[in-house]
Amino acid sequence: MSYTIPIGPYHPALEEPCKIQVTCEGETVQDVALSVQYNFRGVEWLAERRNYQQTVALVERVCGICSNVHTLTFCTAVERLAGLTVSERAQYIRTIVVELERLASHTLWAGIAAEVIGFQALFMTCFAVREQIMDLLENLSGNRVHYGMNCIGGVTRDLEDSEGVLTVARNVRQAVSGRLIPLFANDKTVRARCAGTGKLSREQALAWGAVGPTARASGLTEDIRRTSPYAVYAKLDFEVPVETAGDVFARVVVRLLEMVESCRIIEQAVEAMPPGLIHRPGFVEVPRGEAVARSEAPRGELFYYVASDGTDVPCRVKIRTPSFVNIPIVRPMLIGANLADVALINASVDPCYSCTSR
Amino acid sequence: MDKIEKILISICPGKFWEEKPEGRWLEIPCIAVEKMAGMMIEAGARLVTVTASPLDTGEFRLIYHWDVDGNLLNCVSTTSRGALPDIVQICPAADWIELEIHDYYGVNFTGRDLPSLMLNEHDRAGIFAGRFQRKPKAGGRP
Repeated sequence: MSYTIPIGPYHPALEEPCKIQVTCEGETVQDVALSVQYNFRGVEWLAERRNYQQTVALVERVCGICSNVHTLTFCTAVERLAGLTVSERAQYIRTIVVELERLASHTLWAGIAAEVIGFQALFMTCFAVREQIMDLLENLSGNRVHYGMNCIGGVTRDLEDSEGVLTVARNVRQAVSGRLIPLFANDKTVRARCAGTGKLSREQALAWGAVGPTARASGLTEDIRRTSPYAVYAKLDFEVPVETAGDVFARVVVRLLEMVESCRIIEQAVEAMPPGLIHRPGFVEVPRGEAVARSEAPRGELFYYVASDGTDVPCRVKIRTPSFVNIPIVRPMLIGANLADVALINASVDPCYSCTSR
Repeated sequence: MDKIEKILISICPGKFWEEKPEGRWLEIPCIAVEKMAGMMIEAGARLVTVTASPLDTGEFRLIYHWDVDGNLLNCVSTTSRGALPDIVQICPAADWIELEIHDYYGVNFTGRDLPSLMLNEHDRAGIFAGRFQRKPKAGGRP
């Protein structure tokens, strides 16, 4: 006899509201229905009623974890529309901050995954590493969540403490390589919970349009930083970790290796950053037209479409977040899985409901 | 990439690709949407998203953004009587994308059910369209 369990919208495993209605036969999941509308704020509608400067502040509030990459992508689209060239120093600062944000996001995710697995000590280890990154972001921007670093045409703050950034990047790289990777990779509990769980084949990942670490854990190689470079990624040397198993463990491995690469990117960027202006003075006029911009957010490809009618208010802003495409893929991952693994499999795509509902 | 572009041009007589810094753009007729999706999926393309914008005529302009080996192909179509064929059977990635567009603009995707995704059960589809689409003067607030 089958039965249905409603999980959420409020539940202990996730910090955001989402309802997963699971239909089971015994302990095996037969079907899943997802409801994600609880954070709907109509951000696109609001963006079409604010001027470009106001919209930068608005899109920063789409998400509390990857706020910086939202403003980066929106500003990039507007800069393309207005034909603006961003100074090289500003591009380097953008790259450093967006990689710090990736580190903050991935360590948060790793900690939550450890918590879901039931490994409290690992959760604390992840958050101890994360705290160094958060302190650095606070030093650089004055904020721990919405950094307010990007503006149309550049960045709002210069990066003065290069040595401090280098020290944190090196410390985090050592902590990830020396502690987090061995703990996640060698611990029997982690392997038992993650290996072979929540499988997603390469074909499924492509058909459902998976992005980011979720896609790269299933053998897809695309990373927007590599395939369609923005900021200064084309000048930097970094690897794109790809796994083929397509299970939760593969998603863990991809994110941990990405953290090491993010540290390498930050170290290179700090050392290569030239002197110069960080933004252009004066107001920006945006002519009539349309432009798109894509970037690699911590959870995957982030897409912005901006259309202008020549006024100071955008006439259309479309935001496609990585979680919007990765969350529906939880359904094929869950069908056939054990009921006890539902929270872990759901968490493995690093879902952000705030991004999804907007 | 070139092959895909040539095939797509073949279903859009008289049209040509427009080059922009972020990708290429092509106008396609609404009746060719399913054909376009089939060709894209066969070629290993990934549907990034679909952008809908209201037109003064009461119809909607839909841009299908596809990723082909890191290159962005933007195929533009226009609804006919507020509807376009759905492509979910061809491309599962379009499922939530079509539901969201239906919620926001009330665009109908023929051939599928359209339960609400972002709205509550009793909300009417098309919350961004119609009288809600009216905007204040430039620079003002609602």
